[in-house]
Amino acid sequence: MIVPKRNPEVVWRLEKGIHAMAWDKARREEDFEDLGVLTLMVKGGIHQLNLVGAEIWTRVNGINTVEKISGEVAALFGWEAEETEEAVLGFLEGIGEKGWVTLGEGSG
Amino acid sequence: MTTYLSSPVTVNWGITARCNFVCSHCFSRLDPSPELAPEEARRVVDILAEQSVMFLNYGTGEPLLRRDLFELTEYAVSKGLKVTMNSNGSLIDAAAARRIREAGFHSVGISIDSAAPAIHDAFRRMPGSFDKAVRAARLLREEGVPLTVSSVICKVNHRDFPALVSLAKELGAHTIDLHNFKCSGMGGLNKEALDLSPEEWRTFYEAAVPMRDASMGIEIAFDDPILSLLGSEEKGKLVAGSVCGKLSLYIKPNGEITPCGFIPVTVGHILRDDFSQVWHGSKVLGHLRDKEATGKCSGCAKFSACLGGCTARAYAVYGTYDAPDPHCWKE
Repeated sequence: MIVPKRNPEVVWRLEKGIHAMAWDKARREEDFEDLGVLTLMVKGGIHQLNLVGAEIWTRVNGINTVEKISGEVAALFGWEAEETEEAVLGFLEGIGEKGWVTLGEGSG
Repeated sequence: MTTYLSSPVTVNWGITARCNFVCSHCFSRLDPSPELAPEEARRVVDILAEQSVMFLNYGTGEPLLRRDLFELTEYAVSKGLKVTMNSNGSLIDAAAARRIREAGFHSVGISIDSAAPAIHDAFRRMPGSFDKAVRAARLLREEGVPLTVSSVICKVNHRDFPALVSLAKELGAHTIDLHNFKCSGMGGLNKEALDLSPEEWRTFYEAAVPMRDASMGIEIAFDDPILSLLGSEEKGKLVAGSVCGKLSLYIKPNGEITPCGFIPVTVGHILRDDFSQVWHGSKVLGHLRDKEATGKCSGCAKFSACLGGCTARAYAVYGTYDAPDPHCWKE
Protein backbone atom coordinates (compact mmCIF):
# COMPACT_ATOMS: atom_id res chain seq x y z
CA MET A 1 0.00 0.00 0.00
CA ILE A 2 1.44 3.30 -1.07
CA VAL A 3 1.14 6.18 1.36
CA PRO A 4 2.04 9.64 0.07
CA LYS A 5 3.45 12.24 2.43
CA ARG A 6 3.78 15.97 1.81
CA ASN A 7 7.18 17.63 1.87
CA PRO A 8 6.88 19.80 4.99
CA GLU A 9 8.83 22.56 3.23
CA VAL A 10 5.95 23.10 0.81
CA VAL A 11 3.84 26.07 1.94
CA TRP A 12 0.35 26.00 0.49
CA ARG A 13 -3.16 27.36 0.70
CA LEU A 14 -6.53 26.77 -0.88
CA GLU A 15 -7.65 29.86 -2.77
CA LYS A 16 -10.72 31.19 -0.97
CA GLY A 17 -13.73 31.50 -3.22
CA ILE A 18 -11.99 29.96 -6.20
CA HIS A 19 -12.26 26.44 -4.78
CA ALA A 20 -16.01 26.94 -4.47
CA MET A 21 -16.18 28.54 -7.91
CA ALA A 22 -14.41 25.54 -9.46
CA TRP A 23 -16.84 23.16 -7.75
CA ASP A 24 -19.79 25.20 -9.06
CA LYS A 25 -18.39 24.84 -12.56
CA ALA A 26 -17.74 21.12 -12.09
CA ARG A 27 -21.33 20.55 -10.92
CA ARG A 28 -22.64 22.47 -13.93
CA GLU A 29 -20.36 20.33 -16.12
CA GLU A 30 -18.48 23.43 -17.28
CA ASP A 31 -14.70 23.56 -17.78
CA PHE A 32 -12.95 23.83 -14.43
CA GLU A 33 -9.63 22.14 -15.14
CA ASP A 34 -7.86 25.39 -15.96
CA LEU A 35 -8.66 27.16 -12.68
CA GLY A 36 -5.83 27.49 -10.16
CA VAL A 37 -7.46 26.41 -6.93
CA LEU A 38 -4.54 25.66 -4.63
CA THR A 39 -1.29 27.60 -4.45
CA LEU A 40 2.00 26.04 -3.39
CA MET A 41 5.36 27.60 -2.75
CA VAL A 42 8.50 25.52 -2.59
CA LYS A 43 12.13 26.54 -2.94
CA GLY A 44 11.19 30.02 -4.08
CA GLY A 45 8.98 28.70 -6.89
CA ILE A 46 5.24 29.22 -6.89
CA HIS A 47 2.78 26.84 -8.49
CA GLN A 48 -0.95 26.14 -8.65
CA LEU A 49 -3.04 23.00 -8.76
CA ASN A 50 -6.46 22.73 -10.32
CA LEU A 51 -9.52 21.35 -8.56
CA VAL A 52 -8.65 17.69 -9.02
CA GLY A 53 -5.04 18.25 -7.96
CA ALA A 54 -6.24 20.22 -4.95
CA GLU A 55 -8.65 17.49 -3.86
CA ILE A 56 -5.82 14.97 -4.04
CA TRP A 57 -3.30 17.26 -2.31
CA THR A 58 -5.57 18.06 0.62
CA ARG A 59 -6.04 14.34 1.27
CA VAL A 60 -2.31 13.65 1.43
CA ASN A 61 -1.51 13.47 5.13
CA GLY A 62 1.04 10.69 5.54
CA ILE A 63 -1.73 8.31 6.65
CA ASN A 64 -4.15 8.03 3.73
CA THR A 65 -3.19 5.44 1.14
CA VAL A 66 -3.34 6.11 -2.59
CA GLU A 67 -6.25 3.69 -2.69
CA LYS A 68 -8.19 5.66 -0.09
CA ILE A 69 -7.42 9.02 -1.70
CA SER A 70 -8.38 7.85 -5.16
CA GLY A 71 -11.54 6.22 -3.81
CA GLU A 72 -12.63 9.53 -2.32
CA VAL A 73 -11.68 11.49 -5.43
CA ALA A 74 -13.58 9.02 -7.64
CA ALA A 75 -16.65 9.42 -5.46
CA LEU A 76 -16.36 13.23 -5.52
CA PHE A 77 -16.20 13.45 -9.30
CA GLY A 78 -18.27 10.37 -10.13
CA TRP A 79 -15.40 8.64 -11.90
CA GLU A 80 -14.54 4.96 -12.33
CA ALA A 81 -12.47 3.73 -9.37
CA GLU A 82 -9.82 1.86 -11.32
CA GLU A 83 -9.07 4.66 -13.79
CA THR A 84 -9.08 7.20 -11.00
CA GLU A 85 -6.53 5.25 -8.99
CA GLU A 86 -4.25 5.10 -11.99
CA ALA A 87 -4.61 8.85 -12.57
CA VAL A 88 -4.12 9.74 -8.90
CA LEU A 89 -1.00 7.59 -8.70
CA GLY A 90 0.34 9.21 -11.87
CA PHE A 91 -0.31 12.65 -10.43
CA LEU A 92 1.40 11.79 -7.14
CA GLU A 93 4.39 10.31 -8.95
CA GLY A 94 4.63 13.50 -11.00
CA ILE A 95 4.66 15.81 -7.99
CA GLY A 96 6.92 13.31 -6.24
CA GLU A 97 9.51 13.91 -8.96
CA LYS A 98 9.27 17.62 -8.17
CA GLY A 99 9.91 16.85 -4.51
CA TRP A 100 6.52 17.99 -3.26
CA VAL A 101 5.59 14.58 -1.85
CA THR A 102 7.30 11.30 -1.06
CA LEU A 103 5.66 7.96 -1.75
CA GLY A 104 6.28 5.35 0.92
CA GLU A 105 5.01 1.92 1.79
CA GLY A 106 2.31 1.93 4.45
CA SER A 107 1.79 -0.81 6.99
CA GLY A 108 -1.16 -3.15 6.86
CA MET B 1 -3.53 27.29 -15.77
CA THR B 2 -5.47 30.49 -15.17
CA THR B 3 -4.04 32.15 -12.10
CA TYR B 4 -6.44 33.52 -9.52
CA LEU B 5 -5.12 34.57 -6.18
CA SER B 6 -7.58 35.38 -3.44
CA SER B 7 -4.92 37.49 -1.69
CA PRO B 8 -1.20 38.18 -2.01
CA VAL B 9 1.13 35.25 -1.50
CA THR B 10 3.64 37.58 0.15
CA VAL B 11 3.21 40.84 1.98
CA ASN B 12 6.35 42.89 2.47
CA TRP B 13 5.90 45.02 5.54
CA GLY B 14 7.98 47.95 6.61
CA ILE B 15 7.43 47.51 10.31
CA THR B 16 9.74 50.45 10.93
CA ALA B 17 11.34 53.15 8.82
CA ARG B 18 14.09 53.58 11.36
CA CYS B 19 17.53 52.32 10.47
CA ASN B 20 21.00 52.52 11.94
CA PHE B 21 22.49 52.61 8.42
CA VAL B 22 22.23 55.24 5.68
CA CYS B 23 22.74 53.13 2.56
CA SER B 24 23.11 54.99 -0.70
CA HIS B 25 20.53 52.87 -2.54
CA CYS B 26 17.81 52.71 0.14
CA PHE B 27 14.27 53.18 -1.16
CA SER B 28 12.79 54.06 2.20
CA ARG B 29 15.37 56.32 3.85
CA LEU B 30 13.52 59.43 2.68
CA ASP B 31 10.16 58.15 3.96
CA PRO B 32 9.23 60.03 7.16
CA SER B 33 6.25 57.74 7.92
CA PRO B 34 5.59 57.06 11.59
CA GLU B 35 5.32 53.37 12.45
CA LEU B 36 2.23 51.58 13.69
CA ALA B 37 1.83 51.04 17.43
CA PRO B 38 2.19 47.46 18.75
CA GLU B 39 -1.58 46.92 19.03
CA GLU B 40 -2.08 48.24 15.50
CA ALA B 41 0.67 45.94 14.27
CA ARG B 42 -1.13 42.95 15.78
CA ARG B 43 -4.30 43.98 13.97
CA VAL B 44 -2.31 43.99 10.74
CA VAL B 45 -1.26 40.41 11.47
CA ASP B 46 -4.90 39.47 12.15
CA ILE B 47 -5.96 40.90 8.79
CA LEU B 48 -3.19 39.16 6.84
CA ALA B 49 -3.86 35.85 8.57
CA GLU B 50 -7.58 36.17 7.87
CA GLN B 51 -6.70 36.72 4.21
CA SER B 52 -4.51 33.56 4.20
CA VAL B 53 -1.41 35.48 3.19
CA MET B 54 1.37 32.88 3.16
CA PHE B 55 4.53 34.89 3.73
CA LEU B 56 5.09 38.03 5.76
CA ASN B 57 8.45 39.65 5.13
CA TYR B 58 9.74 42.50 7.23
CA GLY B 59 11.68 44.86 5.03
CA THR B 60 12.32 48.61 5.11
CA GLY B 61 14.46 50.07 7.87
CA GLU B 62 16.15 47.69 10.29
CA PRO B 63 13.48 45.39 11.75
CA LEU B 64 15.54 44.67 14.87
CA LEU B 65 15.13 48.29 15.94
CA ARG B 66 11.48 47.59 16.59
CA ARG B 67 11.02 46.65 20.25
CA ASP B 68 8.02 44.38 19.74
CA LEU B 69 9.65 42.50 16.85
CA PHE B 70 9.82 39.12 18.57
CA GLU B 71 6.41 39.31 20.23
CA LEU B 72 4.86 40.40 16.94
CA THR B 73 6.60 37.58 15.10
CA GLU B 74 5.51 34.97 17.63
CA TYR B 75 1.97 36.24 17.22
CA ALA B 76 2.17 36.10 13.42
CA VAL B 77 3.65 32.60 13.49
CA SER B 78 0.86 31.49 15.85
CA LYS B 79 -1.59 32.73 13.22
CA GLY B 80 -0.01 30.52 10.56
CA LEU B 81 2.09 33.10 8.74
CA LYS B 82 5.60 32.25 7.56
CA VAL B 83 7.65 35.21 8.75
CA THR B 84 10.90 36.31 7.18
CA MET B 85 12.94 39.48 7.45
CA ASN B 86 15.79 41.33 5.83
CA SER B 87 18.39 42.74 8.18
CA ASN B 88 21.76 44.43 7.88
CA GLY B 89 22.87 42.03 10.62
CA SER B 90 24.52 44.69 12.75
CA LEU B 91 22.27 44.07 15.76
CA ILE B 92 22.37 40.28 15.65
CA ASP B 93 24.53 38.92 18.44
CA ALA B 94 24.29 35.42 19.90
CA ALA B 95 21.33 36.34 22.11
CA ALA B 96 19.44 37.96 19.23
CA ALA B 97 20.10 34.97 16.97
CA ARG B 98 18.68 32.68 19.63
CA ARG B 99 15.65 34.93 20.05
CA ILE B 100 15.14 34.93 16.27
CA ARG B 101 15.06 31.15 16.28
CA GLU B 102 12.74 31.02 19.27
CA ALA B 103 10.34 33.50 17.69
CA GLY B 104 9.90 31.11 14.78
CA PHE B 105 11.30 33.02 11.83
CA HIS B 106 10.94 30.97 8.67
CA SER B 107 14.09 32.49 7.19
CA VAL B 108 16.28 35.57 7.66
CA GLY B 109 18.01 37.50 4.90
CA ILE B 110 21.28 39.26 5.69
CA SER B 111 22.40 42.02 3.36
CA ILE B 112 25.89 41.49 2.00
CA ASP B 113 26.74 43.37 -1.18
CA SER B 114 30.31 42.31 -1.81
CA ALA B 115 32.73 39.63 -0.73
CA ALA B 116 35.26 42.46 -0.34
CA PRO B 117 34.69 44.04 3.10
CA ALA B 118 35.78 47.53 2.01
CA ILE B 119 33.32 47.59 -0.90
CA HIS B 120 30.43 46.41 1.27
CA ASP B 121 31.27 48.91 4.02
CA ALA B 122 31.49 51.80 1.56
CA PHE B 123 28.19 50.85 -0.13
CA ARG B 124 26.46 50.53 3.24
CA ARG B 125 28.26 53.66 4.46
CA MET B 126 29.13 51.91 7.69
CA PRO B 127 32.67 50.86 8.58
CA GLY B 128 32.77 47.36 10.03
CA SER B 129 29.35 46.45 8.67
CA PHE B 130 30.70 43.58 6.54
CA ASP B 131 32.19 41.84 9.57
CA LYS B 132 28.96 42.31 11.50
CA ALA B 133 26.85 40.94 8.64
CA VAL B 134 29.07 37.88 8.28
CA ARG B 135 29.03 37.33 12.04
CA ALA B 136 25.23 37.60 12.06
CA ALA B 137 24.96 35.07 9.23
CA ARG B 138 27.16 32.59 11.07
CA LEU B 139 25.28 33.05 14.36
CA LEU B 140 21.95 32.47 12.64
CA ARG B 141 23.22 29.27 11.04
CA GLU B 142 24.59 28.10 14.38
CA GLU B 143 21.08 28.50 15.74
CA GLY B 144 19.70 26.59 12.76
CA VAL B 145 17.81 29.58 11.35
CA PRO B 146 17.41 29.22 7.56
CA LEU B 147 19.56 31.93 5.97
CA THR B 148 19.45 33.88 2.75
CA VAL B 149 21.98 36.44 1.59
CA SER B 150 20.54 39.51 -0.01
CA SER B 151 22.62 41.62 -2.39
CA VAL B 152 21.79 44.65 -4.49
CA ILE B 153 23.51 44.38 -7.85
CA CYS B 154 24.86 47.75 -9.00
CA LYS B 155 28.06 49.44 -10.13
CA VAL B 156 30.04 48.38 -7.09
CA ASN B 157 29.59 44.62 -7.46
CA HIS B 158 28.19 43.59 -10.86
CA ARG B 159 31.47 42.06 -11.99
CA ASP B 160 32.33 40.43 -8.67
CA PHE B 161 29.11 38.54 -7.98
CA PRO B 162 30.68 35.03 -8.29
CA ALA B 163 32.72 35.74 -5.15
CA LEU B 164 29.53 36.90 -3.46
CA VAL B 165 27.79 33.66 -4.38
CA SER B 166 30.73 31.67 -3.02
CA LEU B 167 30.64 33.63 0.22
CA ALA B 168 26.90 33.08 0.63
CA LYS B 169 27.37 29.36 0.07
CA GLU B 170 30.23 29.23 2.55
CA LEU B 171 28.04 30.99 5.12
CA GLY B 172 25.39 28.29 4.73
CA ALA B 173 22.75 30.34 2.96
CA HIS B 174 20.17 28.29 1.07
CA THR B 175 19.56 31.18 -1.35
CA ILE B 176 21.28 34.31 -2.52
CA ASP B 177 18.95 37.00 -3.80
CA LEU B 178 20.72 39.11 -6.39
CA HIS B 179 18.32 42.05 -6.39
CA ASN B 180 18.45 44.42 -9.31
CA PHE B 181 19.07 48.05 -8.42
CA LYS B 182 15.94 50.20 -8.22
CA CYS B 183 16.07 53.94 -8.69
CA SER B 184 13.57 54.76 -5.93
CA GLY B 185 14.18 56.88 -2.84
CA MET B 186 17.93 57.29 -2.25
CA GLY B 187 18.43 54.98 -5.21
CA GLY B 188 16.84 57.62 -7.41
CA LEU B 189 19.17 60.30 -6.08
CA ASN B 190 22.21 58.07 -6.66
CA LYS B 191 21.09 56.47 -9.91
CA GLU B 192 23.93 57.90 -11.99
CA ALA B 193 26.57 56.57 -9.64
CA LEU B 194 25.04 53.15 -8.98
CA ASP B 195 22.77 51.95 -11.77
CA LEU B 196 24.10 49.86 -14.65
CA SER B 197 23.48 50.65 -18.27
CA PRO B 198 21.13 48.33 -20.16
CA GLU B 199 24.15 46.69 -21.82
CA GLU B 200 25.79 46.17 -18.46
CA TRP B 201 22.61 44.51 -17.20
CA ARG B 202 22.68 42.24 -20.20
CA THR B 203 26.31 41.31 -19.55
CA PHE B 204 25.55 40.65 -15.89
CA TYR B 205 22.60 38.38 -16.60
CA GLU B 206 24.38 36.54 -19.40
CA ALA B 207 27.04 35.59 -16.87
CA ALA B 208 24.77 35.08 -13.87
CA VAL B 209 21.94 33.03 -15.39
CA PRO B 210 24.20 30.09 -16.42
CA MET B 211 25.59 30.14 -12.89
CA ARG B 212 22.04 29.91 -11.52
CA ASP B 213 21.28 27.03 -13.84
CA ALA B 214 24.47 25.15 -12.99
CA SER B 215 23.26 23.91 -9.58
CA MET B 216 25.98 25.48 -7.46
CA GLY B 217 24.60 24.06 -4.23
CA ILE B 218 22.85 27.36 -3.52
CA GLU B 219 19.75 28.85 -5.12
CA ILE B 220 20.47 32.04 -7.04
CA ALA B 221 17.36 34.19 -7.35
CA PHE B 222 16.96 37.34 -9.41
CA ASP B 223 13.25 38.20 -9.61
CA ASP B 224 13.72 40.46 -12.62
CA PRO B 225 11.13 40.31 -15.42
CA ILE B 226 13.65 41.45 -18.04
CA LEU B 227 15.25 38.01 -17.78
CA SER B 228 12.64 37.05 -20.37
CA LEU B 229 14.86 38.81 -22.91
CA LEU B 230 17.34 35.97 -22.53
CA GLY B 231 14.57 33.40 -22.94
CA SER B 232 15.27 32.45 -19.35
CA GLU B 233 12.20 32.40 -17.18
CA GLU B 234 12.61 31.97 -13.47
CA LYS B 235 11.23 28.59 -12.48
CA GLY B 236 7.85 28.54 -10.84
CA LYS B 237 7.10 32.17 -11.65
CA LEU B 238 3.30 31.78 -12.04
CA VAL B 239 2.75 35.32 -13.36
CA ALA B 240 4.34 37.24 -16.20
CA GLY B 241 6.18 40.51 -15.62
CA SER B 242 6.61 42.12 -12.22
CA VAL B 243 5.13 40.28 -9.26
CA CYS B 244 4.09 43.55 -7.58
CA GLY B 245 0.34 43.74 -7.12
CA LYS B 246 0.01 40.23 -8.58
CA LEU B 247 1.72 38.03 -6.00
CA SER B 248 2.76 40.60 -3.47
CA LEU B 249 1.95 43.92 -1.85
CA TYR B 250 3.86 46.27 0.38
CA ILE B 251 2.71 47.88 3.62
CA LYS B 252 4.49 51.05 4.62
CA PRO B 253 5.45 51.71 8.25
CA ASN B 254 2.35 53.90 8.64
CA GLY B 255 0.02 51.21 7.27
CA GLU B 256 -0.47 52.53 3.76
CA ILE B 257 -0.56 49.83 1.10
CA THR B 258 1.45 50.22 -2.11
CA PRO B 259 1.99 47.70 -4.93
CA CYS B 260 5.62 47.34 -3.87
CA GLY B 261 8.14 49.26 -1.81
CA PHE B 262 9.54 50.88 -4.92
CA ILE B 263 6.24 52.21 -6.27
CA PRO B 264 5.18 55.08 -3.99
CA VAL B 265 1.51 54.99 -4.97
CA THR B 266 -0.92 54.34 -2.13
CA VAL B 267 -3.77 51.99 -2.99
CA GLY B 268 -5.30 51.75 0.48
CA HIS B 269 -4.61 51.50 4.20
CA ILE B 270 -4.30 48.17 5.93
CA LEU B 271 -6.27 49.26 9.01
CA ARG B 272 -8.80 51.60 7.43
CA ASP B 273 -9.75 49.86 4.19
CA ASP B 274 -11.15 46.45 3.36
CA PHE B 275 -8.05 44.49 2.36
CA SER B 276 -9.89 42.17 0.01
CA GLN B 277 -11.53 45.13 -1.72
CA VAL B 278 -8.13 46.77 -2.18
CA TRP B 279 -6.62 43.55 -3.58
CA HIS B 280 -9.46 42.87 -5.99
CA GLY B 281 -10.77 46.36 -6.67
CA SER B 282 -7.85 48.79 -6.81
CA LYS B 283 -7.63 50.48 -10.20
CA VAL B 284 -3.88 50.85 -9.81
CA LEU B 285 -3.40 47.14 -9.11
CA GLY B 286 -5.75 46.37 -12.00
CA HIS B 287 -3.54 48.48 -14.25
CA LEU B 288 -0.37 46.69 -13.11
CA ARG B 289 -2.02 43.33 -13.88
CA ASP B 290 -3.08 44.45 -17.33
CA LYS B 291 -0.30 46.65 -18.66
CA GLU B 292 -0.30 47.97 -22.19
CA ALA B 293 2.70 47.80 -24.49
CA THR B 294 4.01 51.26 -25.23
CA GLY B 295 7.11 52.61 -26.95
CA LYS B 296 9.56 49.90 -27.93
CA CYS B 297 7.40 47.29 -26.15
CA SER B 298 4.77 47.69 -28.89
CA GLY B 299 5.23 44.78 -31.23
CA CYS B 300 8.02 43.26 -29.14
CA ALA B 301 7.78 39.46 -29.14
CA LYS B 302 8.92 39.33 -25.52
CA PHE B 303 6.16 41.57 -24.15
CA SER B 304 3.82 38.71 -23.27
CA ALA B 305 6.53 37.27 -21.04
CA CYS B 306 8.04 40.40 -19.48
CA LEU B 307 5.01 42.75 -19.65
CA GLY B 308 7.31 45.72 -20.04
CA GLY B 309 9.71 44.59 -17.32
CA CYS B 310 9.93 46.15 -13.88
CA THR B 311 7.02 48.53 -13.33
CA ALA B 312 8.77 50.26 -10.42
CA ARG B 313 11.73 51.24 -12.57
CA ALA B 314 9.49 52.45 -15.38
CA TYR B 315 7.42 54.48 -12.95
CA ALA B 316 10.48 55.97 -11.23
CA VAL B 317 12.10 57.07 -14.48
CA TYR B 318 9.14 57.89 -16.75
CA GLY B 319 6.26 58.40 -14.31
CA THR B 320 4.00 55.82 -15.98
CA TYR B 321 3.39 52.13 -15.34
CA ASP B 322 3.32 51.16 -19.00
CA ALA B 323 6.65 52.65 -20.09
CA PRO B 324 9.36 50.17 -21.08
CA ASP B 325 11.74 49.12 -18.31
CA PRO B 326 14.76 51.46 -18.45
CA HIS B 327 16.99 48.41 -17.90
CA CYS B 328 15.75 46.76 -21.10
CA TRP B 329 18.59 46.36 -23.59
CA LYS B 330 16.41 45.49 -26.55
CA GLU B 331 16.51 48.13 -29.32
